[in-house]
Parts: sequence; C-alpha cells; structure tokens
Amino acid sequence: MIVIGVFTVIPMLMTIWISLNKWSMFTSITDMTFVGLDNYTRLLGDASRMQAITNTGIYVGLSVLITIPLALLIALLLYFPKLKGKGVVRTLLFATYVIPTIAIVIIWGNIYSPGYGPLSALVSAIGLTPPGWLSDPQWALVSLVIFNVWQMLGYYVILLIAGLTQINEELYEAARIDGAGRIRQTWSITIPLLRPSLIFVVLMTFVNSIQVFDPIYLLTQGGPANSTNVVGFEIQRSAFQYGMAGESSALAVSLFLMIVAVGGVLGIIMKGRKR
Amino acid sequence: MSASASTLRRRLAKPVQYVLLALVALIPLFPLYWLLISAMKTPAEFSQIPPTWFPSTPTLEPTVTALTAVPFLQSMMNSVIIAGGATISVLVTSILAGYVFAKHQFPGRDALFWGIIATMFLPPIVTIVPLYYLVSSMGLSDTYLGVLLPWLANAFGIFLMRQFIQDIPDELIEAARMDGAGEFRIVWQFVVPLLKPAIVTLAVFMFVYAWNNFLWPLSILKSEALYPVVLTLNRLMSYTMSFEYQNVVLAGAVIASLPTLLVFLVTQRVFVAGIAASGVKG
Repeated sequence: MIVIGVFTVIPMLMTIWISLNKWSMFTSITDMTFVGLDNYTRLLGDASRMQAITNTGIYVGLSVLITIPLALLIALLLYFPKLKGKGVVRTLLFATYVIPTIAIVIIWGNIYSPGYGPLSALVSAIGLTPPGWLSDPQWALVSLVIFNVWQMLGYYVILLIAGLTQINEELYEAARIDGAGRIRQTWSITIPLLRPSLIFVVLMTFVNSIQVFDPIYLLTQGGPANSTNVVGFEIQRSAFQYGMAGESSALAVSLFLMIVAVGGVLGIIMKGRKR
Repeated sequence: MSASASTLRRRLAKPVQYVLLALVALIPLFPLYWLLISAMKTPAEFSQIPPTWFPSTPTLEPTVTALTAVPFLQSMMNSVIIAGGATISVLVTSILAGYVFAKHQFPGRDALFWGIIATMFLPPIVTIVPLYYLVSSMGLSDTYLGVLLPWLANAFGIFLMRQFIQDIPDELIEAARMDGAGEFRIVWQFVVPLLKPAIVTLAVFMFVYAWNNFLWPLSILKSEALYPVVLTLNRLMSYTMSFEYQNVVLAGAVIASLPTLLVFLVTQRVFVAGIAASGVKG
C-alpha cells in the first residue's frame, strides 16, 4: 500500500505540479520555475500536440468500434454452440495477450511491409492495389488500430464469455417456449443482461488504447507526417527526448482528465444499470 | 416449405459454425505462423517478392545469429530476475493487503480500497516523468531495483486477492485464531492453500506484465548489461535496417516470446478461469 502510495499517488500529484512549471529534465529540479497555466495554453497553440490528441481520439474510437462487436460475436460463437475445439480456439486467442508487444510489432511490421509482406500479397491477389500501410499517412493509424485489436481481442473475449456464463439458462428456455429465435434472444436477453460486462470491456478497451505507446515508439515514431503521433508517445518524447517536462506533464494531466471523464461516465452508466 | 427451409437451416448450422470457428482460429494463428516460418527462411528467400507461404529450405541460422549478435541469454537472465522479483513481491503484498481488506474492519477501509482500485485505471505513462525523477533521485536509476520498485505492489493483485479471500468463510479464520495462531500464520497456513487458483492467476499475470513491459525499463535503464529481453530485442531491431536480415529480428521475437507463451500454455486452464473471475467479480 505504501508502495502504491509512493509510486502512484505522489507521482500523480507531482505530474500536476510539474505541469504548472517550466523545467528541463536535463537540469536539476531546483531550476524549476512556476509558470501557472502557461504549459496548457502552449499546448492549445501547438499544432503537433493537438494533432496527437485528435489522433488518440481516432485511435481509441476505432479500437472500441472494432473490438467490441468483434469480441462479442466471437464470445457468442465460443459460448453457445456445442463445438469441438472451441476451448483450443479460446486459448489461442488469448495467447496474443501474453506475447511482448515488441514481438508483435516485429510480426506485424513484417506482415504490413509493402511487397515483402503477406498482406500486400493478399490484397494484390484479389486485384486491388495495396496501400503503403504504415508508411502511408492515411493508413498508418488504421494499421496500428488493427494491430491493437489483434493483440487485445482474446482478453476481451474471455471477459465477455465470463459475463455470458452469468446469464441464467432458464431465461433462454423461457424465450424459446415463447417462440423467440436465436437473433431475438440475443437482442432481448443476452445483450441487455451482458451490459455490465460490455461496459467493463468498453472501459478496459478505452483505458488500454488511450495510453498506447510501445507500437508507436517502435513502428512509426509518430510518423509519417505526424499521422500516428499520439498522446502517450508525445508525453514520453517531450520529456525524455526534448527534456520538456512541463509540457509533457500538461499533456499527461490532460490524458488523465480524459480518462477520469470517460471512466466516470461509464461508471455512472454501469452503476445506474445495476439498480 | 417453411418447415423444410428451417430443417435445412438447422442442418447447415453446424458446418457454418465450424467454418466460423476456423476463421476465428486463423486470427491469432496466421500471424504466429507467419512469424515462425519467416524466422526459418534464408535471407534470399525472405526478401523474395511476392513472399513464399512456406519456407523451401527451413533453417535455424537466423536464430543462431540472433543469439550471438546481441547478448540474448544475459537479457533472458535479466528478465527472469526482474519479472521473477516483481511476481514474488506482488504475490506477498497482494495476499497480505487483500487479507486485510477482506477480513479486517477499520475506519475508511472501503474508501481506501476503492482508492487503490482507481489507480488501476491510471496509465503508467501519466506518471512516467515524476516516477523517473523519484527513482533516479534515490540513486536507483540504471539498477534492477530501480526497475522493480514501482512493481512491488499492484492494485489488480490486491483487488483479485481481496475478492478471493472474501469467499473464504470467516469461521475458518476464527477457528484458527482460537487455536492461538498469529495473523501471519493464519494467512500462511490457512488462507494461502485455499488461494491456489488466484495465486497462479496473479503470478502469471504479473510475470507476463513485467516481462513484456517496455516503457519503464526503456526510461530508467541505460546499461545494456541490465537490459531485459524486450530492450535487447529493440536493440537487435535497430541494428538491422537491411530487409533481408529481418529474419534474424523475427527469430529474436520468437525467442523473446517463448518464456511468457510457455508459462501461459502450462497454466492456461487456471489462468483463463482466474482472469474471467476477475471480470465477473468486478
């Protein structure tokens, strides 16, 4: 508990304090000077950092929009029908979660590589011109979203299956007697009753994708043309490469506030539905 | 007409479901298959356009090159020390804290507990700058201990342990206390044996987390001799810009992933159930 206090709460307070100061990471902390909200107004005027915020929004939004329906469909497939081998598939899906991100970066960097990679070969095979994936400003961020979905999908599927096991079998029995078909049952029983799990998974997807750093640092360094610069990457780069701790912390506080806002809203929805 | 259509649909349902299942299985399998075969291709075959879908002459040479080009084995040891240390420490702190939260009354207990849970949603990137400053001002930057320090306790672990310990009947603990067992003995002799699934889950979770974490060691470590595997792999990645030697990098990715994959596969039944339980109980 002390460890959590010292290494979570104090740093958070320090982040807020540093964000109100001007401090180069390469000098002593005693050289810090108070500048009030200067870092925040500078942030608003900095096109590159503002774009990082927009990119993060797109990245998070797309991650949630792709992950949730996909994870739900897979969870339904792996829970309801009696199929041989579905346990194995579940384990395989989850396996991507335990592989180091850098290894996944290497795999997908190769899959995406124009010409040499299988993805471009597949796209060409069906007669289309493959995009440049990570080197194309229009595709780079989307490519990173696909990467994120692939890595995390299994984890969310497991959480949703766990939620499905909590739904009383008898409800389906009753619905079947009333003549409700599969799709009808899914809409009026499964999804409403799965809501707590669904909201939890949305929250986890949100929190996990808003802090994305590793794949950006390793694959694109924010490029091409700033198209994959995200807040997490910009925080680390501003501080550890440029030494601008104040600006970096202002961005970190902004990220924190976004999480509190969205987390709060989701939390209220979750609590409200439980009652 | 409609009856025969519905029997037809029912007869088709199973095969369709199996096709879907196979497609879902391909999602994780294809990239992993691609990793394995690419790591076994010769440089010449590897840089072919379009790519081949099966290595014509599988070779372990990229693996050998990866192992010798960078100090992989040394890094493996570093990762074992860091991930192992974090795992043991998190187990001890989580069981003790979880026990206190589950079985002891004190003022402000629930507020404190939910406060700790809230930190679960605080991304490390938000506090990276002060954390770096704190650890280096203790003189611990560029040491194993410096990497380990923020990982000694963990909100998810405390949460998981509290949920599992709550399910242990109070009578059992009362009985042990009657027999004159001290608190530490109660935890060690009576609580821990009942927590096996939770312990396995948390151990695997923490080991994987610490093994795979990239941001924190990247920020706090300078000397390559202390690099965990993920940083060494990054080094290997930046050495080889030329495409035909990317097979060496891919071989490195296989090596770096094996330990966590093995730990996961050995424990997957218990681990997956534990992760699922953590979601339901939350």
